[in-house]
Amino acid sequence: MTDPTPLLSLRGIGKSYGPVVAVRDVDLDIFPGEVVALCGDNGAGKSSLIKVISGAEEATSGTINLRGKPVAFASPHDALENGVATIYQDLALAPRLSIAQNVFMGSELTRPVLVPFLRILDKKRMIAESQRYLSQLSAAVTDMTRPVERLSGGQRQAVAISRALRWNAEIIIMDEPTAALGVKESALVLDLIRKLKSDGRTVILISHNMRDVVALADRVVIMGAGRKYVDRPLGDLGADDIAHMIMAGNAKAA
Amino acid sequence: MGRIDPRELIGRYGTALAGLSLILFFLIFAPNFASGTNIINVLKDTSFLAILALGFALAFTVAELDLSVAEVASLAAVVCGWMVHAQYPPAVAVAAALGVGIVLGSFNGFGVTVLRIPSLIMTLGTAAIAKGLAFMITQGVAFVGRWPVGFTGLARGYSFGIPNLVLWMAGATLFAWGLVKWTRTGAHMVATGEADEAARLAGIATARMKRIGLLLAGLFAGIMAMLLAANLSSAAPNMAGDYLLYAIAAVLLGMTMFEPGKPNIQGTVFAALVLKVLGNGLVLLGAPYYVQDIVLGAIIIGSVAFSASAMKKAAFKV
Ligand SMILES: Nc1ncnc2c1ncn2[C@@H]1O[C@H](COP(=O)(O)OP(=O)(O)O)[C@@H](O)[C@H]1O
Ligand SMILES: [Mg+2]
Repeated sequence: MTDPTPLLSLRGIGKSYGPVVAVRDVDLDIFPGEVVALCGDNGAGKSSLIKVISGAEEATSGTINLRGKPVAFASPHDALENGVATIYQDLALAPRLSIAQNVFMGSELTRPVLVPFLRILDKKRMIAESQRYLSQLSAAVTDMTRPVERLSGGQRQAVAISRALRWNAEIIIMDEPTAALGVKESALVLDLIRKLKSDGRTVILISHNMRDVVALADRVVIMGAGRKYVDRPLGDLGADDIAHMIMAGNAKAA
Repeated sequence: MGRIDPRELIGRYGTALAGLSLILFFLIFAPNFASGTNIINVLKDTSFLAILALGFALAFTVAELDLSVAEVASLAAVVCGWMVHAQYPPAVAVAAALGVGIVLGSFNGFGVTVLRIPSLIMTLGTAAIAKGLAFMITQGVAFVGRWPVGFTGLARGYSFGIPNLVLWMAGATLFAWGLVKWTRTGAHMVATGEADEAARLAGIATARMKRIGLLLAGLFAGIMAMLLAANLSSAAPNMAGDYLLYAIAAVLLGMTMFEPGKPNIQGTVFAALVLKVLGNGLVLLGAPYYVQDIVLGAIIIGSVAFSASAMKKAAFKV
């Protein structure tokens, strides 16, 4: 089910913060349409690795190829424009702004007005399109003018994902999307991710929740002390197996 | 939209209604308040405050405090007055006033975004510099004289039967409102002020937005200064200093209405009117001059207390 040519390909990626080496020499291929779970203990280097992919941090060493071409994203915005969207742990939403304002933050729609060369915000269309993205994700929210702070955690994830859809992102990276959520809300987010997958999008999912990983992932990548030491199809791995591999890796790294 | 929550209505329009009641109260009870000339004077007086406060509100929209607006206005007035005095054409004097505002507004923006100085400190520094320069230029005295109508008319004249000052206020309001509510730049400014990091991650040039907000605060101070000098036919180095607290009060009181907890254009202008009505009405009722200052302080503190509780309530709903 995976295409032979990788959509995203990392070679020898390293990331240091001063003396701290967060990521060492990681090779990783991501294929179109797959859901890759990135696992590992706290401090393993998962967030650092995806920050490099998403343009939030610059790699200390190594190369990144996107659709076969070398890229170096100068900023998350740069990555967004190249179809790589990241949904950060803290979601990066503006709580007091409306759903529509958050979905279209930084890429607002405009329309011409009477005066030449002047374009004003097309609020109607932004509301309609936000609604469309959210229904696409089957999120039960109807009032797009509602401030995000009045939404549940799962609904906020849906808003953050809608922003990625707005950029028509091909690769969506999610850093612990269910970490702060209750059981019901988590289930909603898992459904969101399934929707993205059935929509043909590629997802890199960082998760501490092995049940989420088993439920969603096509492939499991495990990191420890900055290195990648497991990279295999999920196959018939169970939650306990993955947890064991993470611990075994820690023992080796220590 | 959906259902209307009465508590939300009170949160949104409560203080605006209180302000409206206050205006009605003075209309009925303050001697001579309702006279045509007095009302025109209050509106003219409101214009200066509203324009300065709008600038402060635009800087506040990008979450920066500009405590230099009043001193920048004083300096701009003095430079403008000096040029009129030296018989430069009015257009040049006006350009100079706006130029002073733009330069010092940009200087604030540079300090805040490039040198990363907190705006509170940066703009206090700029205020002191502007004040010093204003005294340097005037050597402590004021420029007074029979200035050409081409200049004084900017503030004192009428167009279409409406005082020019009121038209300037309307123009500044329309510009600020259109910018914030209807342009991409405005949306980026709002996002920057609401959630700096989220805005940056969404690709918004947040530092540029902060510079724009501070530049506009300076520009509005320049416009206000030019009008102040034109209206008085004079320019003194401390002429706008008293406006700082009033401008802050207008923005903070404005934040208690229409869009509670957020700096907003409608609220700022309406609050400026309420503050000026209050000042004028108190005088007409025979209250001693110092009562105004006490009321002003109470309004500043009360507004922030109100906004803080509105904000907490919102955060509580999470
Ligand atoms: N901005 C930073 N500055 C310094 N050290 C950092 C920074 N971010 C992460 N680190 C360090 O890099 C290592 C990997 O962290 P991280 O990538 O957050 O791991 P994970 O997401 O797997 O928990 C840790 O030792 C962490 O302390
Ligand atoms: Mg992490």
